[in-house]
Amino acid sequence: MAAIPNDVFFATVTELNKRLLAKEFKAEDLARAFAERLAQLGPRYNALALPLIQEARRKGKTVDQELKMDRQRGPLQGIPYGAKDLLAYKGHPTTWGAKPYATQVFDYNATVIDKLDAVGAVLTGKLAMVELAGGGGYRFASASLTGPGLNPWDRTRWSGGSSSGSATGVAAGLVTFALGSETSGSIVTPASYCGVTGLRPTYGLVSRHGAMALSWTLDKIGPLAHNADDCGHILQAIAGADGKDPGSAGTSFYYAPQYARSMKELKVGYAAVDFADRAEESARPAFQAALAAVRETGVTLVETKLPSFPYGPILSTVLAGEQASNFEQLITSGQVDQLVDAAQIAGLKTSLELPAKDYLKAMRLRRLIQEEFRKLFTQVDVLLAPGRPGPATKIDQPLDRGGFQPPAGTASGLQGIIQAGNLAGLPALVLPCGFADNMPVAFQLVGPAFSENLLLAIGREFQSHTDWHKKHPPEA
Amino acid sequence: MKITRRQLAMVVSASTLAQSQTTSSVDDTQAARDRLKANSNALAQQDLPPATEPAFKFQA
Repeated sequence: MAAIPNDVFFATVTELNKRLLAKEFKAEDLARAFAERLAQLGPRYNALALPLIQEARRKGKTVDQELKMDRQRGPLQGIPYGAKDLLAYKGHPTTWGAKPYATQVFDYNATVIDKLDAVGAVLTGKLAMVELAGGGGYRFASASLTGPGLNPWDRTRWSGGSSSGSATGVAAGLVTFALGSETSGSIVTPASYCGVTGLRPTYGLVSRHGAMALSWTLDKIGPLAHNADDCGHILQAIAGADGKDPGSAGTSFYYAPQYARSMKELKVGYAAVDFADRAEESARPAFQAALAAVRETGVTLVETKLPSFPYGPILSTVLAGEQASNFEQLITSGQVDQLVDAAQIAGLKTSLELPAKDYLKAMRLRRLIQEEFRKLFTQVDVLLAPGRPGPATKIDQPLDRGGFQPPAGTASGLQGIIQAGNLAGLPALVLPCGFADNMPVAFQLVGPAFSENLLLAIGREFQSHTDWHKKHPPEA
Repeated sequence: MKITRRQLAMVVSASTLAQSQTTSSVDDTQAARDRLKANSNALAQQDLPPATEPAFKFQA
């Protein structure tokens, strides 16, 4: 194998593709280097579900043959990536991060994996996740078949979930990009905690065929990568109509950075309190500096607030109803008791008791939420809020109690934006924006449905003014 | 096999932690039921125009 320089492990998609086209190294060698690195270092962070070294080498070899014939398939050709272990990969275990499914094998690929294969991307491994994407409500970071996701910035802290391995893989330079999924916060949280750029697409833009169904009306699949530009290229490759996904919006996505609107035209809605009293004290200086950097891009920041709804209860109710149906057999058979987290087991069992009237009321309230967001986006172009109020929690800290609470009487700001954005099917872009306690923190931009090009344009502009997205964990 | 006191302490604390994190209990079930009830109450306080149908498309 030819020597692969160490700087490839944190290179972006476009940088790596350029170097492959320049024949600086072979795709097969690159695939092998990444696949071996993931297999070797992934377990250090409990980030690896399944290594695919031989498969990656074979795909890399195919890419080399194509490049030799000048068959170019775009910026993802030859780029190593990892997929969250809730995506089916033909003939290999797809565990959904959960013991009852440890030997589950599908005879087909998830649509997103086929789509990435078609553009020449190289799957180097499946990445760890919280068991069943955490729908039952888990109490501890250890709620996973592969153990707690350890943060590459500090292994005593959590990587976030449920796309734990996806965020860790990118942050530690084990993959160039990764696929994750979000039902309510599963891309936003790990991207924020690990300091990587993450994109939750509009509901229905990316096919979920071949992905574990947790909640049909909430689940989305999206990329985690080194920067916003990479997310744009990846989204273009994985988006599009799919008759195999009943929730498909039937539309494609063309990444169009050349048509970005002027930043001076844009109104960004935010609540100052989110970056002050509603943020953990250690994170406030970073958030304030980030706000200043956002202003430097030329956008206008406008104080705003979210429409008033009990977003948490509405989301929990929808999720409970849909997961009860999805996992009814698991629950009634008693196999649910094989899960790791006691709170998650109890949450799944109890979800069978949800009254139908509550599910339907939650779904009817979603209609009103959609309408209110439509009105809100006539006043501002996008919303801006912290990804999480502070840096990653300690690995043994209970996640359902004892977390940061702002002082009593603090204004609500954009509290609940993760649940609200997911209920309304809105896209979100997570951008690393500084450090607190030597750990990354991030903010999120949320826009109207199908506004991914706008979010990415702001993200690119912000990242051209800052270098937080270029920082890497010291030990990686 | 030799084992140091430090290693022994790590094994014991890890096993205690694992036990505390995996043991299902009546408390967990009650807490989950309480959450369902609290959610139900929060929803009940929301007024809905009678003509509001459930959302089936999620593009705002």
